[in-house]
Amino acid sequence: MSKPIKIGLLAVMVIVLVILPHLVNPYTVQVLITTITYSMLGLAFGFSLKVGLPRFDIAAWWGVGGYATALLMLKAHMNFWPTVLIGGIIAMVLGFLIFIIAVPRGMMVFLMFGMVVAMAIQQIFGSVKFFGGWSGTGLVPRPTIFSHTIAGKPELYYLGLFFLVVNLLVYYFLYNSKIGRAWNAIGSSLRLAGSVGIDIVRYRMANVLIGNFFLAVAGSYYIAFSLSAAPTSFSFSASIFVMMYIVVGGIAHSLSGPLLGALILTFIPEYLRVAKEYEPIITAVITILIIIFLPAGILGWIDQKAKPWFARLGKGRKTEQGVPA
Amino acid sequence: MDLALFLQILVNGLMSGGMYCLVASGFTLILGVIQVFNMAQGHFYMLGAYLTFAVSVSMGLPYPVAILVALASMAILGVLFHWGVIQWTMPHGFFHMMLVTIAFGTIISQASLLSFGYNEQVVPAVIPRTLEFGEITLNPGKLLVIAGAIIVMVALYYFMKTKTGTAMKAAAENREVAGLQGINAKRIFWVTMAVGSGLCGIAGALIVPILSATTVMGSNIFIRAMLVVLVGGTGSMSGALLAAFLVGIMESFAFQYLGQLNILAIFVVVAILVFFRPGGLMGKPLPMPGQ
Repeated sequence: MSKPIKIGLLAVMVIVLVILPHLVNPYTVQVLITTITYSMLGLAFGFSLKVGLPRFDIAAWWGVGGYATALLMLKAHMNFWPTVLIGGIIAMVLGFLIFIIAVPRGMMVFLMFGMVVAMAIQQIFGSVKFFGGWSGTGLVPRPTIFSHTIAGKPELYYLGLFFLVVNLLVYYFLYNSKIGRAWNAIGSSLRLAGSVGIDIVRYRMANVLIGNFFLAVAGSYYIAFSLSAAPTSFSFSASIFVMMYIVVGGIAHSLSGPLLGALILTFIPEYLRVAKEYEPIITAVITILIIIFLPAGILGWIDQKAKPWFARLGKGRKTEQGVPA
Repeated sequence: MDLALFLQILVNGLMSGGMYCLVASGFTLILGVIQVFNMAQGHFYMLGAYLTFAVSVSMGLPYPVAILVALASMAILGVLFHWGVIQWTMPHGFFHMMLVTIAFGTIISQASLLSFGYNEQVVPAVIPRTLEFGEITLNPGKLLVIAGAIIVMVALYYFMKTKTGTAMKAAAENREVAGLQGINAKRIFWVTMAVGSGLCGIAGALIVPILSATTVMGSNIFIRAMLVVLVGGTGSMSGALLAAFLVGIMESFAFQYLGQLNILAIFVVVAILVFFRPGGLMGKPLPMPGQ
């Protein structure tokens, strides 16, 4: 694609995203808000997958951010914005203390360690009185911006969009920096990366901690629209579902894959209009079918099959005569 | 602490240790041989418990029959799962296989929620009275569970000594070399899946008269199995055995003092163990995909 077309597409996308909440009904806006949250979780998963570490502690750090915002706003009567930052920093510090053990031990230990961390942190939120017990914290006040309260569904949607765009931009610039290239090297081959002098443990650690920060931001955003933190919202199954988003969207597309996957897997069950109990089954069956038949995900399928097809269509006979597309 | 309380806690610990041992050794077997990170392992355990309830309470058949039904049907389900889903995702790699097990587990847990409901399903105790030695009272059902777990582990030990078991170990060590020796890897995968899932089925069937069947029991035991595999080392069966009883007893004693926060204490101990013995209790683990 040439540059003007890309910029044009981007502009159209921005306009659609901005006017979207005014076109659809409030219920759909709510679903969009959920999608934004899950997209941020999926982005973090794809982010650490870049360095070959699948993480299942997503819900834990999401919860840490959520609880930090909820408790700081409730007990310390702080404004919403500093709590986002503080939550992120808490998630990074705690993450550092925990992952200093797991990251040097390789992928398998990291994976299982993450699951146990997710479980332990949820248990702490539920069992320690300070965090409000299993029923959750009390009602958190709504976030404000310059004495204007962010309350309506479209406003919350814009708030989420802001966080998502910041997240995407940071990840995008990291991927295209020297650090991102080192991460790519680690993701493709540990030994090769080590042989060219990349400190694998430190680079992996940096990746996981940056992921932690944005997971905590997603948690703060979750508090902004759900207005209460409960241990059950940050459950282990939330971490698991995140993995489905990225594989359905496209495992090689760390930025667009989770967005598309979260969109599809949130909206399909909503619009199939089936009973709530059958929803997970349908999601799971869709995931299994996609993995078996489109292992590269939907975006990967577009890259492999649809794009060459369009290219052939555009060039007419040239490619048919054997000129490589 | 008096002796009676100590013994009760110890029996509880041994009982949960036995369960963790069955589930974790099935998990580590599948991880070692097929290199599938089977997230549905806990769900097979849960389904085994529900099946035991269905057979022994709803259908009124004797409890030993229910155990056999749970064992056989979980083994068959494991083979079907491998035949229908896993083998088609094998060429796509580790994450894809892991994800289909997650999806399959979701289907199992949601389907059992739909058919059995949110309420816990109670199977009456096998021996409905308590053993008393002076001041010490023990639940004979719990001792039965421990005995059952030990019998299954011994059976598994001798199974691993047979030709099939040796072939499984060989396939875990190096799939290609095992193939060169004339080991049919496809058949080994099926056997592994059947054994791994059957272990979960029998664990669920054994525990259900003590803890009634609930929908959360699958994820609960799966986390414990993760702890066990972390402590015992990935792919190590003897490590899993030792670690399972260690985790079980530790959890039981920590529960006495910390209540629901016992997982935190275990987590700290596991973190220390992983820090000092990254290869697991029994030394060097098997090579795993994508270090």
